[in-house]
Amino acid sequence: MAGAIGTESGAMLAAPGRAAGLGGLGLGSVRAVLLPVALAVAALAAWQAVVVLGDIPPVILPSPVSTLRYIVEHWDILLTHAVPTTLESAIGFVLATLLGVLLAIVITYSSLAREALYPNLVFFQLIPKIALAPLFIIWLGIGMQSRVAFAVFIAFFPVVIATTAGFTSVDRGMLRLCRSLTASEWQIFTHVRFPAALPYIFSGMKVAITLAIIGVIIGEFITAQAGLGYLIIFATARADTEVSMAAIVVLCVCGLLLYGLVALGEIVANRIFSAEPA
Amino acid sequence: MAAQSATRPRGPGVPQAMSGATAPATPLLRIAQVEKVYGGRQGPVRAVASASLEIGRGEFVSLLGPSGCGKSTLLMMIAGLETPTSGTIELDGSRVVRPRRDIGIIFQDATLLPWKTTLENVLFPIRILKLPLAPYRERARELLAMVGLSGFENHKPAQLSGGMRQRVAICRALIHDPAILLMDEPFSALDAITRDQMNEALSEIMDRTAKTVIFVTHSIREAAFLSDRVVVMGGRPSHVILDERMPFGRPRRLAIEETPEFGQVVRHLRLTIEQAHGTAPSGRSAGGE
Repeated sequence: MAGAIGTESGAMLAAPGRAAGLGGLGLGSVRAVLLPVALAVAALAAWQAVVVLGDIPPVILPSPVSTLRYIVEHWDILLTHAVPTTLESAIGFVLATLLGVLLAIVITYSSLAREALYPNLVFFQLIPKIALAPLFIIWLGIGMQSRVAFAVFIAFFPVVIATTAGFTSVDRGMLRLCRSLTASEWQIFTHVRFPAALPYIFSGMKVAITLAIIGVIIGEFITAQAGLGYLIIFATARADTEVSMAAIVVLCVCGLLLYGLVALGEIVANRIFSAEPA
Repeated sequence: MAAQSATRPRGPGVPQAMSGATAPATPLLRIAQVEKVYGGRQGPVRAVASASLEIGRGEFVSLLGPSGCGKSTLLMMIAGLETPTSGTIELDGSRVVRPRRDIGIIFQDATLLPWKTTLENVLFPIRILKLPLAPYRERARELLAMVGLSGFENHKPAQLSGGMRQRVAICRALIHDPAILLMDEPFSALDAITRDQMNEALSEIMDRTAKTVIFVTHSIREAAFLSDRVVVMGGRPSHVILDERMPFGRPRRLAIEETPEFGQVVRHLRLTIEQAHGTAPSGRSAGGE
């Protein structure tokens, strides 16, 4: 079996080493980072200037500096409230992802389930689900289970839709090849369907994590004894706008943190299941 | 129809790879009165009507015909991916009723896993068949060397040209040493120049491996160049209308396509198809590439 047989000369030589342009940070990428940061800083500066020069009372609009000062001075209080919110969001997100992928598997493999379930799921997407939040308190009480359940409820839809799209995106020829090799459904799932669906699953998860946080915050707005949503409502009721603003900033940080974890997972998965050269 | 089923080794001094336990006259593949009827909306459609065919070990047989003549359907039935409505298909002494481990298959698209390397893609059947990977890794490298892809083991499909991807698919189809190789218009998505190169390369690969091949195509020239036998399918409902041995020696180079002998064979095949169908399949372009 020695010796090569005729080659398509051009493509053969051109194929390796196409990494150019991916490596160093060019002028363009510096610009891409600098420009949005500069705009954000400018907006904050304008905000600060308006509050100071316009002599706006902190009850109406606290300045960025005073908000930051509050966060630095009372970080322990904020942290106490950030923990349950973040934890409940994370639990809700994980459950939503598991439920979403599970439902997608059912929809993919059972035509009965697909025909019965899928149109209803899509229809359900149209409902303003936030309106149902108070019912969850009635059904599940005022504990964290009602907030987590509500977070799951509003977060699992994008996972189902995206994952189903991923499972069914698999090339039919690839499936035929697997069948011709006597592959079991489980083998097709683990070797082909699941890896092919991963980018879809992650895009669904990224939407789900933000929705899960929204779900928990809404739950806390309605009834809670702790959490950033509770703090925002509580402080706003007492016209303590500075505290609300600080809580919102911390909430943003928590949201970014959770989103960052999902994005990190996506990077790891991409590295394993990438069409790009290793 | 199955008149010419005797085994004829291809290429000088190529040993028969398959076990010779049975009499040499026994065909590897026996297709008997196979019919395929699909239940369509406007009544049943007969995709294949009573196809009978015998293919010997080591033979390279093309199924030639226009689109919709049932040649791909017949190939899928041989692969066990479709079930005949009636009739039987026997491979290596046992009936084909479902997909089996002793066939290798190549489609129009390479259908490689985009996130796997060339080597891993070639080893894919080994993983599915749960065979030990270690001994096949070396074989995969040898196969890749044979098709001219040494040094591309760790490339991903996106880094390969269409022709190279199809070569990987050929290696993947051969990795588990199947009794028969089924090729469903494997080069029809390639450009004309690459297609010519692939035809020559395939001819040489098959001379070396001495595999039995069934090659579905709608290109008359491709069928004539590659095959020991060309089986023309056509008519309504579709059946085998011609089963002809190609009078060219091996190894074959593209230059034989310039000979008057080759032109005559192509002309004969074209006329046969025209008579059965009214028009030639894919006209001059299919042959001219």
